[in-house]
Amino acid sequence: MKAKAVEKLVLGMISTITVLVVALLITILAVLFVKGYPALHSGFLFEESRDFGRAGGVLYQSAGTLILMITAVLLSLPVALGSVLYQTEYLSSGKLKTFLMQLTYILNATPTILFGLVGYLFFGVYLDAGVSWVTGSLILAVMILPTLQVSIREAVEGLPEKYREAGMVLGLTRSAQIYRIILPQCFYGIVTGIFLGLARVAGETAAIMFTATTFSGIQLPQSYSDPVPTLQTHILILAQEAVNPESLAQAWGAGLVLIGLVFMLTLVAWAFRTRMVMESEL
Amino acid sequence: MKLSYKKNFSNCFSGQAHLEPLAWIFALMNLIFVTGAMGLGVFLLVQSLPIMKAEGLDFWLGENWWVGETYGALSMIVGSLMVTALAVTLALPIALSAALYTSEYLSPSLRRGVKGVMELLAGVPGIIYGLLGISFLAVTVKESFNLLYGNTLFTAGCLLAIMILPTVLTLAEDALHAVPIEYREVAEGLGLSKLQTALRVVVPQASSGIVGAILLGIGKAMGETIAVLMVVGSLDRIPGWNLFVSGQTIPSKLGREAAEALGSGLHWSALMGLGLTLFFMVSILTYSGTRFTEWSRR
Amino acid sequence: MARFKWVGLALLLLMGWSFVGDSAAETGLRIQIVGSTTVLPVVSHAAQQFMASSNTRILVNAGGSGVGIFSAAQGRADIGMASREISSNEKKRFKNSDLKTHSVGLDAVACMVSSEIYQSGVRLLTRAQIAKIYMGKITNWKEVGGPDKKIVVIDKEHHRGTRHVFMRYVFGNATQRTPGTILVTGSNNEEQTKIAQSDSAIGMLSFAWINEDVRAVIIQDQNGKFAPTLKAVQSGRYPIMRELSLITRGEPKGKIKAFIDFVKGPEGQKSVVENGYIPVGVETSKP
Repeated sequence: MKAKAVEKLVLGMISTITVLVVALLITILAVLFVKGYPALHSGFLFEESRDFGRAGGVLYQSAGTLILMITAVLLSLPVALGSVLYQTEYLSSGKLKTFLMQLTYILNATPTILFGLVGYLFFGVYLDAGVSWVTGSLILAVMILPTLQVSIREAVEGLPEKYREAGMVLGLTRSAQIYRIILPQCFYGIVTGIFLGLARVAGETAAIMFTATTFSGIQLPQSYSDPVPTLQTHILILAQEAVNPESLAQAWGAGLVLIGLVFMLTLVAWAFRTRMVMESEL
Repeated sequence: MKLSYKKNFSNCFSGQAHLEPLAWIFALMNLIFVTGAMGLGVFLLVQSLPIMKAEGLDFWLGENWWVGETYGALSMIVGSLMVTALAVTLALPIALSAALYTSEYLSPSLRRGVKGVMELLAGVPGIIYGLLGISFLAVTVKESFNLLYGNTLFTAGCLLAIMILPTVLTLAEDALHAVPIEYREVAEGLGLSKLQTALRVVVPQASSGIVGAILLGIGKAMGETIAVLMVVGSLDRIPGWNLFVSGQTIPSKLGREAAEALGSGLHWSALMGLGLTLFFMVSILTYSGTRFTEWSRR
Repeated sequence: MARFKWVGLALLLLMGWSFVGDSAAETGLRIQIVGSTTVLPVVSHAAQQFMASSNTRILVNAGGSGVGIFSAAQGRADIGMASREISSNEKKRFKNSDLKTHSVGLDAVACMVSSEIYQSGVRLLTRAQIAKIYMGKITNWKEVGGPDKKIVVIDKEHHRGTRHVFMRYVFGNATQRTPGTILVTGSNNEEQTKIAQSDSAIGMLSFAWINEDVRAVIIQDQNGKFAPTLKAVQSGRYPIMRELSLITRGEPKGKIKAFIDFVKGPEGQKSVVENGYIPVGVETSKP
């Protein structure tokens, strides 16, 4: 009898905690929406910011964030794809494989500000790219390498053995196997990785705040050495003037745009992942 | 030497693969990845050598960070550890009990719902949490604890707890859910109740995954820059045992001072030394996490 | 087929790069300005006007006086903004950079308190009192005639221009260490926010940041009492004054010189006044 009462109590406790956690996190989303929505006047996405960001929209900030996202993923994808395929298809030493996996995990856990510091010194100072969108993209490309690698590896390693066997029966060379069988079959996994990478870049602030961004003066970069305005740093600067109601309202608006972007990318990634799981179950 | 080189080389490609051009391209890509990852650590190490030479052990044991005179990182290290410890203490029990409930008791559709919300939230950018932190949490902390100001280590710890909650929850839940259903059937067949099954059979089976989730959460909390920078108060001092005062963490110090010292001088080297310290702390966590997982699998 | 796709992609990328490279050659007309958040509003405003009438693009970023001087000296920025003099340490460190200072206006730094403290009657602080507060020897407002409340002592990051000027007045030492500090802030906006959010804070800010939530007190020293009014500043009696300046590496040339002249000229000076500072050329007996 007593045991049952204890069990009920514990159950009640953990169910309450679960409900509370979900409620808390949904509240956070709701607050973001409620705070950000008023700022989203019709042209918020399509207007320049004016008056130190207190008025206008976030057109060029969004553009800057998109530029960094896309370049970073374009730079990172070939390296991620190549290194994973090398590790899964060509490398035979098990020790080396474990070492490379460890490296991926460590890179994945490395605080993002360190990518900013070291990346600025290497790309910005030694390679002389300065504070620019190129420096930022390169830094972010290294930062999302593990994200892409993990997704791609999952897809490649999850490939049913029969595909490979079929390839071998047909007498395909390993390279032919890769671009006839592995790449097409892992397409959805790779796309999932791309979108998760995009989402991670979109949310990153610390690695780019002193390496790639500017607050005003630039709309779109005209050369490789131009910095760009981004949503993330825009929010940071506006948020530090929290007593000015207009600034804060604009910050919430930009926050809502940013989170909308991140969520959209995550949802697309999920859609592709479900597709991948379905394909592999066929 | 020559022999071992040859042996290693044959390890790099299986079979006749080294005759294919594609293999070399992939190997090159892998080399870029390895250089990038190792380069990060090497760069941090090389760049922080000057400060190690100038300060020696005092770099980690000194309390005073006076730019141009002396660089002691102790207050940042202590700040980082306190904030992380607080975040983990707050988040862990909540995340784990919610994970247990979600995995063992919720219907599949509800479970997917909870997981969906958590995974979305795990992706919310730090800057958004920072914005929420200075607008709500700092004010709440100030008022509910009757403090003079809301920018404290406690505020930062709470904010981090909220930030790592979804990550720890989903990963721990994954680990619990991955335990084969047969274990539960056998345990319940032996007369254990559902909760007993969950606690005595499922949790031990999933322990490696759970530890991994926890370590990842700790690493994430330790390295978070932007949200902490906005609420922590940024005062370099050792807070003693009082959490309700302003302080500084390693990432927030880096975020505040990096622009001023970019690329040269002892000040920069000192910041790189801080970065190296952080890198070591997080790497050890990650490494022991993966090692632990491997060990418990065996 | 797949092979052609990759080759095509590589070519596209190459073309993209060469395009980027080409356009870089055409745009020499970019001025990068970084530094003091005190000077920032003036320069941003002037830059907008300047860009309207010229094809030069001007990037203005915050960071603080230390960052401004450092970036200009390192050639990382074309112009550094500073709200203080170049310190002797910096002079030594950048002696090869041939830094030139161009004064664009004058500013006064006030000792700020939260409006609640101001309302409760703290309208005047002596220099000795401020020093004791920052050294942590006075920790309660009642010791200086205010309510029984602990003082939230707000400091700025050590390289900030406002801090240098304020500390030089209070302690005679621009880099004085202040153990009484409770919070450290960066930009002027951030400090203003922190003072306003607290109800018992003290801090230092330029006159341009005074508002209903953040009030300036009268300062008293051996030479008398100084009210934080524009009149006192213009008469030159106010004790915590400083030059706002633009800093270049070597004598400025071309577009950079044109922009500096623009800020010193009538339109730029108008924005100096609009932002609550004192234009250059107004007769004041500088400290």
